[in-house]
Amino acid sequence: MLKQRYLFEIIRRFSRAIQIKNNEINPIFTNRNPRNLEYLRIAYKPDGYYIDKPGRCYWHKLQLIQTDRHVTACLFHYENGQVLKASTKEWAIKKQLYKTTDTSAYINLARVFAQRCIESGLVEFFTDLKPTNEQGKVSLFLKTLRENGLKLTEPDQYTTVYPWTRERSEKPWEIND
Amino acid sequence: MACKLLRCFYNNFNSRIYNYVYISCRNGHHMRGNPPELARNLEQRLAELRYKDPTIYYRVDIGLPPVQKYRSKEVKERLAITKANRKNLELEKKSRNQELLIDLEEVKRDWVKTSGPYQIKEVADHYGVFNDLFGDAYFAPQVYIDVSYNVSEDFQMPVHYGNIIKPYRAKDKPEVIYDADENTLWTLILTNPDGHLTDTMSEYVHWFIGNIPENKIENGETLVDYLQPFPARGTGLHRHIFILYKQEKKIDYSAYHRTSPCYNLSERTFKTLDFYRKYQDVITPAGLVFFQSDWDKSLTDFYHHTLNMEEPVFEYDFPKPYIRPQEWFPRRKPFNIYMDKYRDPKQINKEFLVRKLKNVHPFKPPPKQLPYPNAVRMGDHIPSWLKLEIEKSRLKWGRVNDIE
Repeated sequence: MLKQRYLFEIIRRFSRAIQIKNNEINPIFTNRNPRNLEYLRIAYKPDGYYIDKPGRCYWHKLQLIQTDRHVTACLFHYENGQVLKASTKEWAIKKQLYKTTDTSAYINLARVFAQRCIESGLVEFFTDLKPTNEQGKVSLFLKTLRENGLKLTEPDQYTTVYPWTRERSEKPWEIND
Repeated sequence: MACKLLRCFYNNFNSRIYNYVYISCRNGHHMRGNPPELARNLEQRLAELRYKDPTIYYRVDIGLPPVQKYRSKEVKERLAITKANRKNLELEKKSRNQELLIDLEEVKRDWVKTSGPYQIKEVADHYGVFNDLFGDAYFAPQVYIDVSYNVSEDFQMPVHYGNIIKPYRAKDKPEVIYDADENTLWTLILTNPDGHLTDTMSEYVHWFIGNIPENKIENGETLVDYLQPFPARGTGLHRHIFILYKQEKKIDYSAYHRTSPCYNLSERTFKTLDFYRKYQDVITPAGLVFFQSDWDKSLTDFYHHTLNMEEPVFEYDFPKPYIRPQEWFPRRKPFNIYMDKYRDPKQINKEFLVRKLKNVHPFKPPPKQLPYPNAVRMGDHIPSWLKLEIEKSRLKWGRVNDIE
């Protein structure tokens, strides 16, 4: 019985293989997705600018713009500029708030921003916000972001491994869950 | 006077020293380039290099026009709501106690009607969607499409604009919901611009339904049946883009028709730009959602049994290191390390492997790893370079790792 099934399998495959020629593959494959290398951690990170105060060694960075009337959270890319935005200026958020600059506004803004980040697949980014007050608005904003599944640190760029390199670091694209 | 004398003596002494001993000294400071207040920084220089003339490089909006709204009426309504919020004592109490949690679904519903399309456009631009599909054209998706995969009975995987969905969760065709007026026709296409195995500039069409009456997907013509995402191993994330076009009239898509279970990948080759050029007078892109997908274990079976092909596996091609031309008499270079750079790496690995296999017994288990491998005595009369090599291979540093 087993043998028959095996034979049948071979015949089926053979008969299909005549019709379908999927095996012609170009040995060099190019993925055009501009975010792919950042996901695999191979992409170039703008190193340098060491003496600049905020630093620029990131792919994506969180920016919080606080004015007297409104708060805006933006996600910046080092090449493409502003990518994502959530603001209390938006009617969708403002509609349900009591005030656009109080602590509740910051917390709710963080929830909306986290949702938009997750929906757009950008869950890891760099931030240089260092709140001094632990119970302050900004620290609650960051805490809510973390609670909603965002990671506020970015992995380092994967350095090329040569034959003479001392250790072989784990390849990020081979880790499959 | 005394000072003059001293200086004379000092100069004499100095010149005498210089006659016999070489002392490195730096005469003057040479500045390269412009002084810092005039020179441009790296950012400015890169901006100059990347500058594109807007009269030549510009993009065209090909989308549907936004819905016209009466601004004064809208402002009045909004003002009334904000005023009511400010007078709402319950809301104030919640807000002051940091207990106010706004309804995220309602936020999304309002966002889709207001700034949503433009923000989705920005994210899609960030993912290079318009650049790869339409070249110099873009659109803001004025029609919101709700696409979700039914993974199990009570779990749905929605497609937004760039979220990651693994292939085993996208095996069956998704549910597509959107608002459509009466007597309208629509076209829905799912393409993958990243996964083409023979031609990089082409796409694979995963799903193509034309002439959909209103929002009844089932009643449309299925021209190409649904195929699950199959990103090749080692190639990372592939974008899978759903685009909804609004049709002006019924279109004859018979040139795109494929027989129903279409597993021949060359038949699925597709170019959105060519398709849009052909029908640009009668279709308008209206909706856009996309997800990203990368390889998972379930795909091995899919490649072997459904697509009937060997599973392609790719490895990232890192740039080769620069090794300078070999010299006849390299000075101050350790000979073993220097020579190894110009030898065939396969030969080097072979030597390491042979050395390793010398101590491997075919039937006994391998010996335990020592906690301090370099504490073992090496033997007498070993040259220092060889000692270093042995120490490195005991610690598993460098080239030994290639055969481990």
